[in-house]
Amino acid sequence: MFYPLAGVRHQSYVSDSKLFPVPTDRNLLIVLTVAAIAAPFLLSSLYLNSYVQPWLIWTALALGLNLATGWAGQLHLGYAATMAVGAYAAVHAARFGIPWEFALLIGGLAASLIGSLFAFAALRVKGLYLAIVTLAMQFVMDWVLNHSPAISGGSHASLQSPRFALLGQEIASGRGLYYVALGWCALVTVFMMNLQRTALGRALVAVREKDYAAAILGVNSFYYKLIAFSMCSFIGGIGGALLVATFFFLAAPEQFSVNVSIQVLAMIIVGGLGSIIGTYFGVALILLMPGIANEIIANLTSFLGLPLGNETLAHIPTTVYGALIIIFLLVEPLGLGKLYANIRDYFLVWPFDQFKK
Amino acid sequence: MLIGKVTKGLAVAAALSAAGWTDALAQEGTLKFGLCFDLSKSYTFVSPQVAQAAQDLAALTNIKGGIEGHKVEIVVQDHGNEPQRGIECYERLKRDGVFVFDMLSTPVSIAVLPRIMKDKNILMQSSVGRGDAVDGSVFTQIFPVGATYWGQAANDIAYIKQQRSGDLKGAKIGFIYLDYPFGQEPIGVLKTLAEREGFELKLYPVPLPGSDQTSAWTQVRRDRPDFMISWLLAGGHVVAAKEMKRNGYPIEKYISVNWLNEVDIANIGPDVAKGIKRGTNVVGGQDIPIIKEIMAELYAKGKGSGPEKNLKDVYYNLGLANYSVAFQAARNAVKQAGWPVTAASMKVGYESLKDFDANGLLAPLTVTAQDHGGGGKTRIEMWDGQKWVPQTGWLADYQDLIWQIVKTSSSGFKAE
Repeated sequence: MFYPLAGVRHQSYVSDSKLFPVPTDRNLLIVLTVAAIAAPFLLSSLYLNSYVQPWLIWTALALGLNLATGWAGQLHLGYAATMAVGAYAAVHAARFGIPWEFALLIGGLAASLIGSLFAFAALRVKGLYLAIVTLAMQFVMDWVLNHSPAISGGSHASLQSPRFALLGQEIASGRGLYYVALGWCALVTVFMMNLQRTALGRALVAVREKDYAAAILGVNSFYYKLIAFSMCSFIGGIGGALLVATFFFLAAPEQFSVNVSIQVLAMIIVGGLGSIIGTYFGVALILLMPGIANEIIANLTSFLGLPLGNETLAHIPTTVYGALIIIFLLVEPLGLGKLYANIRDYFLVWPFDQFKK
Repeated sequence: MLIGKVTKGLAVAAALSAAGWTDALAQEGTLKFGLCFDLSKSYTFVSPQVAQAAQDLAALTNIKGGIEGHKVEIVVQDHGNEPQRGIECYERLKRDGVFVFDMLSTPVSIAVLPRIMKDKNILMQSSVGRGDAVDGSVFTQIFPVGATYWGQAANDIAYIKQQRSGDLKGAKIGFIYLDYPFGQEPIGVLKTLAEREGFELKLYPVPLPGSDQTSAWTQVRRDRPDFMISWLLAGGHVVAAKEMKRNGYPIEKYISVNWLNEVDIANIGPDVAKGIKRGTNVVGGQDIPIIKEIMAELYAKGKGSGPEKNLKDVYYNLGLANYSVAFQAARNAVKQAGWPVTAASMKVGYESLKDFDANGLLAPLTVTAQDHGGGGKTRIEMWDGQKWVPQTGWLADYQDLIWQIVKTSSSGFKAE
C-alpha cells in the first residue's frame, strides 16, 4: 500500500537495474531533497549548523569509508589519517592562494595518493592484519602532525583555514555553508547509489565476498582493492577538507586522531556495512546522539528537580548512548540500514502479508 | 505498539526541551557563564573540581548579593573532549544568551576560537589552549589569565637560579615531557635560556600516555641532572616518582608543571612525595579566606555543589581563582558600563583588573588590552608531607624572551 508495486514491470535488464525500481522510494527521496533544500528556512541556525550540517559532512565521510569497508570488505582503521591528509593539503593550498575548488581537489588527490601508497603495502595482508596495518597509518600520521610544525601550523598546531569561497563567491553565512555540505553529501550519495549498479561496484562486492572466488571469475582482487582504497581516500580527503573549511574553520591534529577513525568505523557498523541509508542513520546516532541525549537528560533532571552532580549528569547520557548502540545492534546486527529495510519490506506487501498467516 | 511508545517518548522529550528553553528565557536577568567541560573523557582529572568551584563561588556570590545586585548562573555541559561536541555546546549556550565561555580543554578551546573571535564573545582559557593567546592585541576575545607554559618554564629556571645563588653556569637541568604538543611547548624557551644562562639542558621525551618512563629515567640516572623539570600529567607523576625511587634520584629535585594535585600525591604516597615541587599561579591548600568562607557558608549548611573532599584539591583552588577573576571582571563591567553586562563591557572589565589577587588566592595580576595573561606570575610550592609550602615569592622572569616568543607565534594568526 505504501510502496505500491502494481504496474511495475521490468522487460529489460536496463529497466531492472534502474535506480528506483519502486516509485515510492524515488518519491520519498524527492520529498527529502525538498526538505533538505528548505531546511535553512525551517530550522534555527543552531540546528542547521551545529546538527544538520556536521551530520551531512560526516555522512559523506562515512560513505567514503563504507566504500572500502562495506562494499570492498577492507577493514580500515586509519580513515582519519586520510581525512587529515586531505584537510591539510587543501588548507595549505588555499592559504597559498589557490581557489578552493582546486584546493579541495588537491586535498582529495593528495589523500588518494597517500591512501593508495599505503594500500600497496597494506593489501599484502588481509582481515585483522590489514586492520593493524591501517592503524599504523593512523599513528604515522599522528606522529607526523605532532612533530612537523610546517604542516600543522606552528607550536600550537592549529592551522587557520582561509575564508571559504566557490566560483569566486565567498561563502560565510550559515546557510551557504550548509548548502555546500548538502551539495557534497548529495554528490557522494548519488555516486554511491550508482556505483552499486556498475561493473566496478559488482567487482568490489565480489572481492568482499571471497577474493579467491572473484579471482577465478577474472576479477583482479588486488587491483579492485586498490581502487577501493584510492576512491575511499579521495572522498575522505575532500570530506576532511570540507570539514575544516566549513565547520571547524581551522585544522588541528585532534580533529583527525585515532578515536575519529574508530568513530567513523562505528558509524558505518551501527548504520550497516554497505548500506547508504544506514550510513545516514549511523552517523546521526554516533555523532548527534551524545549532544541530544545530553540536552534531554539535562532538561529532564531540571524538570523533575533532581539534584544531580555535574559528573553524574555527564555520565548518564554517555551510558544511554552506549546502551542505545548495544540495543540497536542486538535488535538488528546488520545495522540501522537493515532495520529500515525490514520496515520497508513489511510495508512492501502490507496489508496482504496478513492473509498468509 | 513499540512505535507508539517511541513517539510518545519523543513527544515528552520535545516538551521537556521546550520547557527547558522557556526556563532559560525566564532567567534573562542573570549573568551566565557557559562551562563546556570534558567531564567524561581526558580532562576528568581536573574538570569536576573546577566546575564545582565555579558553582560554589557562584552560590556564595549570590548569597552575598550577587554581582552588584545581579545573580550569577553557572551552566555546565559535557563535551567529552570532542571538538564538534564542544562547538555544539558553544552554539547551544550562545543561543541561550551565554557570552562568557570556558572550555577547559585544549582541543576544544582551539576549535571554538574562530567562532569566539567572529562572534566577539569571551573565552576564558586559563591553563589550556594556545599560549600565544595572552597577546591581547591579536586575540582580543581570549583571556588565558595565569601563566603560559613558556612563562611557567622560565620561572622554574629562575627558581633554580635562585637556588644556585644566581648562577646557572655549569648546571645540568633535565626536562622530562610527554612527547606531544603539551609537553613540547616549553622546549624552545628552555633551549634559549640554556644558551643565555649557560646551563646544560637534557631532554627526556616520554611517549603518551606517560605510563612507560623506564628508558628516560635510566638516562637520568646516567646524566644526574641538578634539577628535573617535568611536563607530565596526572598518572605520569606517579610513574615518575616510582622511577625516581628506583634510580635513586631525589624527589626534592623534581619540579612539576602545575598539573600535579593531591590525588597524585595520594597515589605517590604523601610521605614519599615529601619535597616534590610544583610551579603554580594559584595558592595551594585550604588556608585561604575564600575557601574558609565557602566551607562555613555552603558545606557546613549542606549546600555545597559536590563532594566536600574535592575542596582538598589544588584544582579546586584553580577553579576558584579563574572564576574569582571572571566575577571581578563582571563587577568592573557593571561599575563601568552598567547592567546588563555584554561581551564588550566584560572585555573592558577584564582589561581593567589591576593587582587583583582575590584576597590571597592567586598571584596578583594586572590584565591590560595588550597582556591578557595578567603578568604571568608563578611560584614554586613544595609538598611537606601534609600541605603545600611556598618556596619563593611570585616570579615573572625573562619577560622579554616570553613576549618575543608570544609575538612571533601570535603574528601567524589573522582574525577573520
